[in-house]
Amino acid sequence: MTDQTDQSRRNFLYVAAGGMGAVAAGAAVVPFLGSMLPAADTLAASKTEYDVATVQEGQLVVIQWQGKPVFVVNRTPEYLAEVDGHDDMLKDPNSEHIEAVSAEWMDTPEKRKYRSIKPEYLVVVASCTHLGCIPLFKPTKGRTDWGESVPENWPGGWHCPCHGSLYDISARVIKGSPAPDNLHLMPYKYLTDTKVLIG
Amino acid sequence: MLEKMMKTKLFGWIDERTGAEAIIKSQLTEYQVPKNLNYMWNFGSLALLVLVLQIVTGIFLAMYYKPSAAMTYGSYTVAFDSVERIMRDVNFGWLIRYMHAVGASAFFVVVYMHIGRGLYYGSFKGPRELLWIIGVIILLIMQGAAFFGYLLPWGQMSFWGATVITNLFGALPVLGEPVQQLLMGGFSVGDPTLNRFFSLHYLFPLLLAAIVGGHIHALHVVHSNNPTGLDVHAGKSTIPFHPYYTVKDAFGVGVFLTIYTYIVFFNPQMSGYFIEVDNYVPANNLQTPAHIAPVWYLTPWYTILRSFESKLLGVLMMGASLAILFVLPFLDRSKVRSSRYRPVYRQMVFLFFVTVIVLGYCGHSAPTPTLKLIGQLATTYYFAFFLLLPLVNKFEKTKPLPEEI
Repeated sequence: MTDQTDQSRRNFLYVAAGGMGAVAAGAAVVPFLGSMLPAADTLAASKTEYDVATVQEGQLVVIQWQGKPVFVVNRTPEYLAEVDGHDDMLKDPNSEHIEAVSAEWMDTPEKRKYRSIKPEYLVVVASCTHLGCIPLFKPTKGRTDWGESVPENWPGGWHCPCHGSLYDISARVIKGSPAPDNLHLMPYKYLTDTKVLIG
Repeated sequence: MLEKMMKTKLFGWIDERTGAEAIIKSQLTEYQVPKNLNYMWNFGSLALLVLVLQIVTGIFLAMYYKPSAAMTYGSYTVAFDSVERIMRDVNFGWLIRYMHAVGASAFFVVVYMHIGRGLYYGSFKGPRELLWIIGVIILLIMQGAAFFGYLLPWGQMSFWGATVITNLFGALPVLGEPVQQLLMGGFSVGDPTLNRFFSLHYLFPLLLAAIVGGHIHALHVVHSNNPTGLDVHAGKSTIPFHPYYTVKDAFGVGVFLTIYTYIVFFNPQMSGYFIEVDNYVPANNLQTPAHIAPVWYLTPWYTILRSFESKLLGVLMMGASLAILFVLPFLDRSKVRSSRYRPVYRQMVFLFFVTVIVLGYCGHSAPTPTLKLIGQLATTYYFAFFLLLPLVNKFEKTKPLPEEI
């Protein structure tokens, strides 16, 4: 008996059948991986309302948004004054480095500097952009209140206890920190004069 | 294709450390299988496929399912709510749950066909007794896994099904009550029961996977039976498993998946046969549903249970109806395996299949006096089939066997 196999046809069938099988297997993976993404009810709980009037002058409050910590700071005029004069110490003074540190309403140099819709109320994601710890609030200038944990020319801001990243009072990262970026902003808007909708 | 892969350097590296080539040859490319296997021989590989499907879908369901009977709003519970959340909020949750629920029924369809094949063609007979016995163990574990799984949605059928089955054990003399409490973790089915059933429902499929490995190993020692029941191990009567039966099994998988996905997408509850309507009512320990029946694949044994007036006798006979499967290879004394050459056994085994279906029908229906009588007759034949086997070969005139296949 001679071998009558048409090898090229057979190879075509191998590839065609194998290819279809691979496509089907790939399609079957979609629902399984998809099921591990946040469920509809988790997504629905992704907005948080907060009344910033409840934050006292100079006070910092940590609230939750999508299970993440968020800083709400009521900045006094003294704190706001600390924003100026150290741009050379910052990695990204105008918050242009990545999308997450910028926002649509940052249309003036003022707003880029204060990083908030209303200058006195700063609302930022409280996770250090290095590895996600919550930085400590050290708002006053210099080492008087904070000792060796901050540099001598400390402008006031945040100090991350995990790996020593430093942020100024507008949550902009200071050069020499392991953190790459300013603290992230999340979308938010004012529903009333003092009520913000985060998310 | 496989040959090409086996010639690569990477394969050589693996082979040196695992002996992969010898395994592939002895188990696949040079593993000899009778050339005349019909489509009834596809159900083994299909059962393996469904087992994998059940394990995979189950793992993903366990990421969202919460085994707790703690109350939430409006007499719902954490467990019931978590299932509804899977159905409504989790991405593709409905698909994965329906795949799992339909998969449970598909598993039994496939395995019952597989067992029926073994009965009809005498695959349980020597030298395959142990292969058959391992298979019966697999069946029992499957039934256990299915039963544990059915409690998890914590619906009315879940709750009362579990109540009925755990009460079965209460019928045993002396040991009854302690065993029952051991199963339930309390004095009635409740939160502890739900937690341990979830744990066991996760454990049993892993046991299954291991024992299925043993089942396949046992098969590869004694080799496949075939429709003629003749002993064929080599030569012109056999062909290698790969590529001939891998391709045939793959075709079977295609047919199976077509039917399976049709049901999953278009009729996942199968009019209450695969997911009972009452199970969409949250469990209520103060009210039993008007009509309570197990899912279809357990109904034949449920009928046997109901056919006896004495509670203890019913429980024992139900146990016996499964236990008798273990001794089947030793009850049948005929030298001929396949029903093709055994006219009397052939009639008996056909009647046995009908009987099991009748038992299933009776168990699924609300009890009436007529159905009870039919159920009792069917139960009688169920046992008669096994008990008559040692006598059959004394008068059965078998047809002449062919020389070769």
